[in-house]
Amino acid sequence: MRRLRVLLLKEWRESLRNKMVVFGVVLLPLFLVGISVYMIALGEGIGDPTASIVMFNTSLMYFLLLPTIIPLAIAVYSIVGEKDQTTLEPLLATPISDLELFLGKALASVIPAVVVNWLSFGLFLAATRVVVGAVPLQALTAPWLASIFGLSPLLALFSVGVTMLVSSRASDARAAYQFSSFAILPGLVPLIIYSSQQTLVDLRLVVAEGAVLIVLCVVILYLAIRVFRREQILTRWK
Amino acid sequence: MIETRGLTRRFGPRVAVDGLDLDVARGEVFGFLGPNGAGKTTTIRMLAALIAPTGGSATVAGHRLGEANREIRRRVGVLTETPGLYRRLSARDNLLFFARLYPVQEPERQVERYLKMFELWDRKDEPAGSFSKGMRQKLAIARALLHEPEILFLDEPTAGLDPEAAKTVRDLIETLRSKDRTIFLCTHNLDEADRLCDRIGLFRTRMLAVGDPVALREEMYGRRTVVHLASPSPGIEQTLDLPFVKKVERLDDRLIVSLADPDAENPALVRRLVELGADVRFVNELRVSLEDLYLDLMEGRDAKA
Repeated sequence: MRRLRVLLLKEWRESLRNKMVVFGVVLLPLFLVGISVYMIALGEGIGDPTASIVMFNTSLMYFLLLPTIIPLAIAVYSIVGEKDQTTLEPLLATPISDLELFLGKALASVIPAVVVNWLSFGLFLAATRVVVGAVPLQALTAPWLASIFGLSPLLALFSVGVTMLVSSRASDARAAYQFSSFAILPGLVPLIIYSSQQTLVDLRLVVAEGAVLIVLCVVILYLAIRVFRREQILTRWK
Repeated sequence: MIETRGLTRRFGPRVAVDGLDLDVARGEVFGFLGPNGAGKTTTIRMLAALIAPTGGSATVAGHRLGEANREIRRRVGVLTETPGLYRRLSARDNLLFFARLYPVQEPERQVERYLKMFELWDRKDEPAGSFSKGMRQKLAIARALLHEPEILFLDEPTAGLDPEAAKTVRDLIETLRSKDRTIFLCTHNLDEADRLCDRIGLFRTRMLAVGDPVALREEMYGRRTVVHLASPSPGIEQTLDLPFVKKVERLDDRLIVSLADPDAENPALVRRLVELGADVRFVNELRVSLEDLYLDLMEGRDAKA
């Protein structure tokens, strides 16, 4: 646990000094929150109550998108960055275990993704209240809350697993970023369902999606753990 | 400290290290020499418990490879071929990270000690990416030493360093030797190996020769005395009739005489040459460079021939 904490702190310290990561973790959520609030304000301006609820629902989807996007930048630069700086071998020469290394890299991306997503959601609600005067609570249903708080950690985990697998085979951060973005599309299925059938967002659907995501996460993490072995890293990674 | 028996590593059909038998004692500086692609880095990676051998066995710092890998990694320090530093982190943060991973008692104090030792303390808060090549190498060496390892694997430690920094590293190796640390040194700098190493191993997939650099030369080339003559003295090499002289060659105004024990036989040799009418200007021992030995062995030449 001590080594895991040391690795996590190093990862975050390094990420904070990387402009690309800071953009992905800080600016992108702020931008999406701003867009969302602007859309809701537009909906209010139309004067039709359904319009503002539709806008609110659409905005909520961003908070299922963010947990998949935020960890991309962190995980890509965390792994491809190590390769680029040739720091993997000195790191592997320490007593850190393969599992600690894997968990350190994974959690360094998942934790900020989930925390930033929830903070952004809080900021979105507060900004909506300030701009529109009230949060449309009738649209903020239990399935939505379950999605944002229950599914987002799973989405982040899935995204990180895919990114770690892709990054292990890539030597260029941009290429890894692009491939990972494509590979996480299956994780966005809930978003696609919600956007096409907003009225059908119910708890059963959320639970079903959660179950599918858990299976996907187990598969992806199993594969990623197999790739995150010293021997593999030193002899197979590009 | 390091003991290997038949240590082998294959990558598919390719054999990178073939049946390495090696013993390195505590406090010894062992030079591991060989061309690029000879399998030196693979050997270090196996001995540092980073990759597993596909055959043979090894004991490192008293622990068997494959059975106590984490313990081995705790007791060895590795300087990799490239410095491998986190460029965005400061020199101090780079070292603190590794100090805490090992773990080191009082990491802050230890980091300060090594940064001062390598004259990097004044730039401790600057990102490692802004450092010169020499400074990065010094920082990487400091990182390998932070946890006071019993065995230090150094892969090209002075590569890219200016003469002053290279001397600092060599002095450090001498200091570590005096503190009973075992050093496994991979280098292409044969002069450095000659000066620093107690023994050297010439390696290309398998060990070609191992031993004390001086003894290895003697074993390969024998001992030879060079007699510098003041006048040509034609034909004197044919008349030299001493029983202990193995072979005499002439090279301009020099005679190169192969002897079994020059320390004992040189006085009699000089006396006899003077008796034969030679004007001896001075006498010295022919020293074959480690480079000659290395090239002969790598090219598979019979040095004595």
